Parts: sequence; C-alpha cells; structure tokens
Amino acid sequence: MEVLLASLIALALSAGAMSAFVADNADVGVAATVFCGVFVQALPFLVLGVVVSGLIAAFVSADRLARWLPRRPAVAVAVAGVGGAALPGCECGSVPVARRLFGEGVSGAAALTFMLSAPAINPVVLVATAVAFPGQPAMVLARCVASLITAVTMGLLWLRWGRTEWVTKRLPTPHDTDASRWTVFTEAARHDFLQAASYLVLGAAAAAVLRVAVPPWIFQHLAGHLVLGVLTMALFAVVLALCSEADAFVAASLTMLPLLPRLVFLVVGPAVDVKLSAMQAGMFGRPFAIRFGPATFVVATVVATIVGLVLVGGGR
Amino acid sequence: VSRGTQNTLLLLVGLSTVMMVIKGTYLHFVRPALLPWLIAAAVVLIALAVASIVRDLRQQSAEDSDSGEGHRHRPWLVWLLLVPIALTTFVVPPALGAHGVTPTAVATSEPARRAFPPLPSGRAPTVSIPDTVMRAAADSTNSLGGRLITVTGFTLKYPDSTDLGRVVIICCAADAQLARIRLSGPAVAEAAGYPEDTWLQVEGTVDPKTSVAATNFVPTMAVSRVTRIDKPANTYAY
Repeated sequence: MEVLLASLIALALSAGAMSAFVADNADVGVAATVFCGVFVQALPFLVLGVVVSGLIAAFVSADRLARWLPRRPAVAVAVAGVGGAALPGCECGSVPVARRLFGEGVSGAAALTFMLSAPAINPVVLVATAVAFPGQPAMVLARCVASLITAVTMGLLWLRWGRTEWVTKRLPTPHDTDASRWTVFTEAARHDFLQAASYLVLGAAAAAVLRVAVPPWIFQHLAGHLVLGVLTMALFAVVLALCSEADAFVAASLTMLPLLPRLVFLVVGPAVDVKLSAMQAGMFGRPFAIRFGPATFVVATVVATIVGLVLVGGGR
Repeated sequence: VSRGTQNTLLLLVGLSTVMMVIKGTYLHFVRPALLPWLIAAAVVLIALAVASIVRDLRQQSAEDSDSGEGHRHRPWLVWLLLVPIALTTFVVPPALGAHGVTPTAVATSEPARRAFPPLPSGRAPTVSIPDTVMRAAADSTNSLGGRLITVTGFTLKYPDSTDLGRVVIICCAADAQLARIRLSGPAVAEAAGYPEDTWLQVEGTVDPKTSVAATNFVPTMAVSRVTRIDKPANTYAY
C-alpha cells in the first residue's frame, strides 16, 4: 500500500516531464496513444465479461452446466459454437467468461469453442462486416462460416488432445461455502478483472510497440502473392490486435489485397492476437496459452483459406 | 500484493476512467459512441472496489488472507495496471496526427456504386473529408459534381503537392487511418504556404473523376478560398 502511494505521488510529480517526452518523440506518442486506444476500447467489454463471469460463478455450477449441454461431445461443442452468437461484444470479454465456464472434458471443450466463436459470429460483428463490405455478402457469410468452423475444430481438438493440467491458473474458491451470492459474485468479478486487465496491459503494450515497429508499407508489396498475402495478413491480425467490431473496416481499406487474405485477417484476428494470448496466459496459465495460441493460428488460417477459396474465390 | 493494494488499483482504474470522461480525453483514444459504456464500466469497477474494501474492513481476518488465491503466479503483474492509470490520467498522450497513421484511402478498390444522400443545401455546405473521399469514389448520384463544398483538415506537405487530411478512427486509435484530398486550383498557393499540420478550412469543388485507382482514390479539389483555423478539440473524423 505504501509502495502504491509512493508510486502515485511520483507519477503525479513527473507527469509534466513525461507528457513533454511523449510530445517530443513522435513514435513514443503514437505508441502511447495506440496503447491507450486498445486498453480504453477493451475496458467496457472486459467489464461486461467479468460481470457475466461473476454471475456464472454465483449462479451456474459446473454440474449444472454439464447437465445443460447435450450428451454427445461433438454436438455439445457445436451448440457452444452457435451459442457464441448470443454474447455481443468483442474478444476481450469472452476470455474471463470462458474461464468460468471451463471444466473437465466436454464442458472444457465447449467453453473454448464459445470463447473463439463469441467475438467472431455475434450479430454486431457480422453487421459491421456487412457495412464495411457493401455489396459483398459472401464476405459476411465466409467470415461467419470460417470462424464457426475454426471454433468448433479447436473444441474438438481440445476434446481429443487437450490436457487439463495445462490450465495452471486456479480460480479462487470462496473460503466458506455459505458465502452469499453477492460475495461470490463480487469476489469472482474482482479477481477476473484484476487478472485479465493486468495481462491486457501486456497485450496492448505489445500491440502498440509492433504498430510503431512494423513499417506500414510492408503489405503494399504483397498484392500479387496469394500465399504470402494470406500469411502476412494472418500475422498482421495477430500483431495489430484490433477489436473484432473494427477489423472489418480496416480489412476493407486494404484495397491493394484480394479478398481472400483479408478474409483470413478477419477470421484470425478475433481468435488469436497478442492481447488475447496475454489474457489467456493470465486466465488459463502459460502452458495453456503457448499451445492454444499457435494451434488456433494454424487452424484459423487454414480454415479461412479453404472457406475463402470456396466462397469468395482466390483472385480479385 | 496485498488485497488492499489490489482493491486500490481497481478503484484507481475506475477513477481514471471517470477522469477521462470528465476531461474529455477519452476522445484521444476511442470514438464518442463508447461514452455510455465507459461510464457504465467506471461505475461497475468503482462499485466492485468499494464492495471489496468494505468487506475487508468488516472482516478483521483480511490480514490473514493477504496472499490472495489465484495470484500466486507473478503477483507483481497487477502493478501493470499503473501503466494505463498513469497514461490516461497523468500523461494523456495526444490524439494521433498524420504521423503513424496507415496511409490508405478510405475508399475500397472497386467501390460498389450506390446512391448517397444529397448534400445539405446552401452555398458551400460542410462535408467531412472521409465523406468527400467516399462520395468521390462511390456515389452513383454524383452529388459532388460541380458543387462548392467546405472541408476542414490539416495540411500534409508532399514534394509535388499539398493535401488536406483527417485521421479517421472506427473503434479506437489502433485502427486509425488517414483520409485525404489533394488541393489544386486558384487558392492552392495560399494553402501550400502554410507549414505541415496547419488546420485549414477550405472551400472548393471536388472533381469525382480524379478519384481513380492510379491516384489511390485521393480526389482533387479545386480550391477557391482558404481560411486558417484553430486545431479543433476533437481532431478525429468518424
């Protein structure tokens, strides 16, 4: 507590000097503004996410959830994928919710599928995509289908190969089992926010640094190379860490590229990026994040490419 | 990291959000539509922090449970929350300018032509720069053709031309893009005389035929009048 007070006083005293430093160094200023942009944009969605996760902690026990899910694992995962459409928001909120829903076996796979599908196929994101690509409904359909297939595939992969011991972060259990619902709710929401938000800081910082460090002209040279374009746009989705409600407009503006690499950008972005991986490391644990992130990246890129070739075609 | 420190950090994140809303600095980072959500988030965070602080004060055993389950791994990470608190409340980085913004046009490559709503009546109605770029590239009704309009933006100096630009954000500063129009015509010399990043209000006519792939869909405006203005409080266009 004393350290915190001392840091705050130090911050207040040095604020003028830091503001001047930011104003004098254009790149530092851009990175700081982008960092604040990612954090402030994510904050309301994260708060919504931890409120939902607190409600889950207070009202939905793991047994009850397991009873709601269909018996057959594949059907349960598919239901969770489609259910993702019910949480309108962007990806930051769905990580804490998925952590609360996560359990042994089928319910674990279903929670991960929900985490991947919720930010990509909810109505707000699909409408934004339709507005960004006027007259190209195939883009909306392809995004929805590819994201859903990616989410379900990852859930099935988890059922087959996932190991619960990779999830090293434990959720706090209430001291006394007779704690009131209100106590359980506030404790869960408080814990999840602190955990997810501190990792969100790491992710937003990574996105801000990469934004300044990666020269923007790189992807202007990729127009003719489809494979290179797909890979680069997939990597861009990871490093830019855009909100899934905004990425369609950015993809629409990259006019020098064909539709297929831009579709890959839209499918990979909400599933895996630097801020999401940081938050998954915070909520689930590092052994989980270093396996789940790359696997999601590969699956999302491949699925988006195949779906894109079928629905929007490879050329312009 | 004691529970007390965690609760204080939680409270500070909420309070710094309130500060951003009161001082209007959130507009440097996100679009105005996020305002109600930011207020709601601040209220929830402050309520959570106050509830936790009150509960810990009531339970005298708070000292015993300092370790705080779930935080045994890297507890210092919670300190990272000081970074956004410091940046948004004390440092307040400026809104993005032309530097560091992806230099792409807002228009799409084969823009689907559609009918835009007619321009406001009057001698020279005000049109935003991104709207001007979109209309020039994709308006099937040719609403810009021959019409005198007024646009506002900052100057961008290139070796062979002067452009008027505006930073466009969709959600937050991370997706910022630059929309610009090229200046020409009788009054361009006056605009070219100002240094880079001077805010101007410019009157003129845009020729939609200049918005083609070869110019990267940057339309050209024949400028008839240039007025220097102060930098607006909110520099972004949406």
